[in-house]
Amino acid sequence: MQTFYTDVLVIGAGLAGERAAIEAGQAGFSTICLSLVPARRSHSSAAQGGMQAALGNSAMGEGDCPDVHFEDTVKGSDWGCDQEVARLFADAAPIEMRRLAHWGVPWNRVVPGRSKYFKGGKEFEKVEKDENRGLITARAFGGTAKWRTCYVSDGTGHSVLFTVDNRCAQLGVEVHDKTEAIALIHDGDTCYGAVVRCLKTGELRVYLAKATMIATGGFGRIYPNTTNAVVCDGGGHVAALNTGVVPMGNMEAVQFHPTGIVPTDILVTEGCRGDGGTLLDVNEERFMHIYEPEKAELASRDVVSRWMTHHIREGKGVKSPYGDHLWLDIRHLGEKHITGKLREVYEICTGFLGINPIYQLIPVRPTQHYSMGGVRTNKDGAAYGLKGLFSAGEAACWDMHGFNRLGGNSLAETVVAGGIVGRKIVEYVRGAEVSFNSVVIDDAVARERSRINGLISGTHGRENVYKVRAAMQDSLNRGANIFRNDADLTACVQELQEVLHRARRVGLASDGLGANPELSAALKIEGQVKMALMVAYGALQRTESRGSHNREDYTARNDRDWLKRTLAYWRSEGDELPTLEYEPATTVFEIPPGYRGYGKMDIIPMDGQEAGAADQSGAKTGQADQDDTDPAEAKGDE
Amino acid sequence: MTVETSILAGRPSKWDGILDVCQMLSGIGLILFMWAHMILVASVLFGPGVMNAIAEFFESTGMAQVGGPLIFLLFLFHFLLAARKLPFRFEGMKIIFSHAKMMRHRDTWLWVVQAVSAMIILIMGSIHMWVVLTDLPITAAKSAARIQGGFWTGFYLLLLPMVELHVGVGLYRIGVKWGLVKTDGRAGLHRGERILTLIFICIGLATLIRFWFINTLA
Amino acid sequence: MARLLKFNIFRYNPQNPESVPHMDEFVLEETDSMTLFIALNRIREEKDSSLQFDFCCRAGICGSCGMVINGRPGLACHTKTKDLPSEITLLPLPVFQLVGDLSVDTGSWFREMYNKVESWIHTNKEFDPAAEEERMENEVAEAIYELDRCVECGCCVSACGTARLRDDFLGAVSLNRVARFVIDPRDERTDKEYYEIIGNDEGIFGCMGLLACEDVCPKHLPLQEQLAFLRRKMGITAIKNLFSRKSCK
Ligand SMILES: Cc1cc2nc3c(=O)[nH]c(=O)nc-3n(C[C@H](O)[C@H](O)[C@H](O)COP(=O)(O)OP(=O)(O)OC[C@H]3O[C@@H](n4cnc5c(N)ncnc54)[C@H](O)[C@@H]3O)c2cc1C
Ligand code: HEM
Ligand code: HEM
Ligand code: SF4
Ligand code: F3S
Ligand code: FES
Repeated sequence: MQTFYTDVLVIGAGLAGERAAIEAGQAGFSTICLSLVPARRSHSSAAQGGMQAALGNSAMGEGDCPDVHFEDTVKGSDWGCDQEVARLFADAAPIEMRRLAHWGVPWNRVVPGRSKYFKGGKEFEKVEKDENRGLITARAFGGTAKWRTCYVSDGTGHSVLFTVDNRCAQLGVEVHDKTEAIALIHDGDTCYGAVVRCLKTGELRVYLAKATMIATGGFGRIYPNTTNAVVCDGGGHVAALNTGVVPMGNMEAVQFHPTGIVPTDILVTEGCRGDGGTLLDVNEERFMHIYEPEKAELASRDVVSRWMTHHIREGKGVKSPYGDHLWLDIRHLGEKHITGKLREVYEICTGFLGINPIYQLIPVRPTQHYSMGGVRTNKDGAAYGLKGLFSAGEAACWDMHGFNRLGGNSLAETVVAGGIVGRKIVEYVRGAEVSFNSVVIDDAVARERSRINGLISGTHGRENVYKVRAAMQDSLNRGANIFRNDADLTACVQELQEVLHRARRVGLASDGLGANPELSAALKIEGQVKMALMVAYGALQRTESRGSHNREDYTARNDRDWLKRTLAYWRSEGDELPTLEYEPATTVFEIPPGYRGYGKMDIIPMDGQEAGAADQSGAKTGQADQDDTDPAEAKGDE
Repeated sequence: MTVETSILAGRPSKWDGILDVCQMLSGIGLILFMWAHMILVASVLFGPGVMNAIAEFFESTGMAQVGGPLIFLLFLFHFLLAARKLPFRFEGMKIIFSHAKMMRHRDTWLWVVQAVSAMIILIMGSIHMWVVLTDLPITAAKSAARIQGGFWTGFYLLLLPMVELHVGVGLYRIGVKWGLVKTDGRAGLHRGERILTLIFICIGLATLIRFWFINTLA
Repeated sequence: MARLLKFNIFRYNPQNPESVPHMDEFVLEETDSMTLFIALNRIREEKDSSLQFDFCCRAGICGSCGMVINGRPGLACHTKTKDLPSEITLLPLPVFQLVGDLSVDTGSWFREMYNKVESWIHTNKEFDPAAEEERMENEVAEAIYELDRCVECGCCVSACGTARLRDDFLGAVSLNRVARFVIDPRDERTDKEYYEIIGNDEGIFGCMGLLACEDVCPKHLPLQEQLAFLRRKMGITAIKNLFSRKSCK
């Protein structure tokens, strides 16, 4: 068996992982990144919209500064974030964008002069200043006071990831792709690296490191419909939670998007509705005006999602081999508009659906989009529970997003957190005295080996892993979706517990030799179900609505009882439920909880805070309008 | 995979650029020659006298005696340069053939056409030049006699399309390789190349036919 | 009403001593908006759970799913079965090392490529966190991005006859990468330095202009133009080198 020794082991070669690896590499430490896929295929490459940083170069971003960005972020999080972290983030983001420019990112730049832009389907004009010519420009994104989303045409994540990976190649940071970390090596106190399965040969390897980092991205694939890549399956989280000592933070905080296409759940922009697109049901009739007489399709993201889900449950969905869906109709907008302003949508429809939206209806359904929760770390990115273990990016709950992350903030988080945490790792490794205990290592390897043998020989049963996975996804989809309530969540937790038993009885149908994909799936299914339980159980316990967590039976944001973060542990392997603990959402308050300026205003204030704090918002009454974006101005829904 | 890359192995790579430029230039040189050659030979269409006159002009100025061998050298030079790219091992040929077949891709097939025609031209062109250049002076009558002999008709009927195909594809290739056309000009260049090839084959055929009707005793 | 699709899929697991390369046949009923991503996953989940293939973004963005689809390299995730005949033959991309079935190791190939062409900005400038960013014209940025759009799917390499004949040929993707740095004002490399990298038969002069690269590139990169641009630039550099004695190493 191959054993690799390295100073720093980074599990995940997306933006967060590689950005941190660069810090370690620059400091002269040997660094290896692991990745399921070649680094540049990591999911970061799929982020097209852009990343937020308060550079304030563009006309519409004038007057922007980290303070405003900070405020937007805290409001976006519905005060669920750690404000110290949000501050770190907002301050560092502009520097990080410039650093990326230095490394080679071809950011779009300010072009002086008049130009037009659209808002809510209407045309406006802006004038870019001559003195800002050639500086990094920005575009509009949902939930922000200023235009501050830096972008590279329609491929921001792609270009930034290529640049960062180039930098890794330059520094000699190794990337071992087609590898999968399946367990952490630890003694309950310190993390020593990981047991890794090679996805070219199927062989097990050991990676020993002074510091290990989990940067494995989101875990959307525990849901059946998600915009996430197929590799966003929570493998890194599974390794962490299986230690029993590392908690997952705020797993119930999951973001959804109303319009993913069916069957492949690729996102189409909410701008479709903003520009006059309508939603139709199985009878090709509009329905949004029944539920929302005033705004109809123009109601905010979450409201629309809710009624879409409701309408499908009423049996008005369109049946398809891929499940029920609704129709998005933009035909009446005309060819010019569709191939012009909505070109992206047009291309997705023709390219992936074989549907021409000028003449045909687009099948859509609400879909999972982003995981705010993840491996809980402190502000240095050090994971709770194990020394020498770090985490950053979507995988982590560093916690700048709280209960709702703003469009463009997550990609920015990957590089900002990657940089900050990377430097902390360097500090840690400088001071670390690590001796590897061979008993611990051998145990870890033996455990994985026996798990693999058990799956191949069907020691515990012959449950089909794909069926178990589908059962988990289906249950989560029904119970822990955009809108949640006690009954559904209770049922969901029960179902998931049954699924957990089935997951423990999975056995392979195939031979399991080499880079067998069924074995990959089987190795993590139990852990995935545990994560699903963390989501559902955490959501069941949280009896309030905050950000993306919408309880139909507790519609108020309850700052008195719930201004806190869920920490979910899987203490012992045989447990049937996660153990939940709580900690304050933030220890520093730059901005006390209040009204977000949009959306819901139903707030139970925290002790000692005047009820009036929330009241100022009184003007806007009504719906559980939790959204960070209005479709009328949507662009930044990515 | 073993590869036969070069018969000029061991050269410093500094020369690769020069060689590539030379390959292009030698190709162009040969094309220009072939056009000149076409004028000479096809002039018989206007009557044997015209051809004789042109041939005589070349000989009296010594261009045939000196130019002929020079062309032969250019021909060899071009071959040597192009041979760097040709697979001489069976393995390589199999790969490129099965690749072209799998891909069903026009430009890849065209390269195969170029490579195959090249080998035929190499052999037949050499023979042809030897025959003509060792039997100076060139006269319409001598040429007609050769062609009416029958064997040479068949010979030219094969060589002619090979040369024209090779020239056509070669021109196209120079265009795309050196960027004389861009992506959107490719289809046009293709058409142009095909028309050109066709025209030249027609002129060549007409010439051959004309030779058949020349009285060799005149 | 729905068509029955017959998939002929290349099978070989190098890790299984009993496995020999062969084709397996699977039949699926076509569904609406079916892509090869959906079809292959169904085959794996319903018919043969050992089938290996690569997908990641399933949205035509990441380049994972290159394979030979009825003779042509392309991205499986944005290939709709509707556009294919009812008999579909799938092969792994040639040139790259086979991992198993339809899965190949593009990662190692590309890592080597980054090092060969030194795929990063070469500059002596230090980053100053306190300074304003260096300015750049938006058109320049857009031109760079145009070439940066490559998703490293490897289709162009697999489609290239030259690359199949000689495994040291850099391929269109690498040459395009170099072009990307050539036009980037931040990269301080000179033409001569670029010549050291691609001015040879493994590089730009190895390309025979087969243009399959351009014709299969799923991102429609202007490869022909870039290859021509480099050929001209490097051709001129070669001639200059010849005449300037100093440059002879
Ligand atoms: C469609 C879409 C559009 C988006 N657009 C935007 C946007 O415009 N702006 C924005 O700010 N955010 C956007 N996001 C969110 C953003 O893209 C992600 O949050 C971010 O890219 C996550 O980066 P990361 O580095 O944390 O993880 P990733 O880039 O997902 O990388 C994870 C890495 O971990 C590896 N890995 C996973 N598991 C294992 C394992 N077990 N062993 C070894 N390696 C493993 C993977 O191979 C990969 O290399 C978008 C998300 C989606 C789904
Ligand atoms: C009258 C004779 C010939 C003419 C007019 C001619 C012309 C050309 C031209 C214009 C090209 C394109 C050059 C380039 O791509 O840079 C070319 C390419 C080529 N020629 Fe010839 N040629 C002739 C004879 C030959 C012979 C005898 C051979 C030998 C075997 C040959 C082999 C090739 C090959 C293999 C190529 C392709 C090179 C590549 O793709 O890089 N040619 N020829
Ligand atoms: C210096 C060299 C050459 C001379 C002097 C020459 C001369 C001639 C002459 C006199 C003819 C008339 C037929 C004959 O007499 O047999 C002829 C025909 C022909 N030659 Fe050449 N030739 C030369 C080189 C070439 C080369 C290099 C090629 C191509 C590879 C070539 C291809 C042909 C063909 C295809 C014909 C038939 C013409 C037709 O049908 O129009 N020749 N040549
Ligand atoms: S150039 Fe095109 S075909 Fe080649 S790797 Fe890049 S995207 Fe794929
Ligand atoms: S297919 Fe190959 S030969 Fe050149 S033009 Fe493209 S790299
Ligand atoms: S899976 Fe990403 S391009 Fe096909």
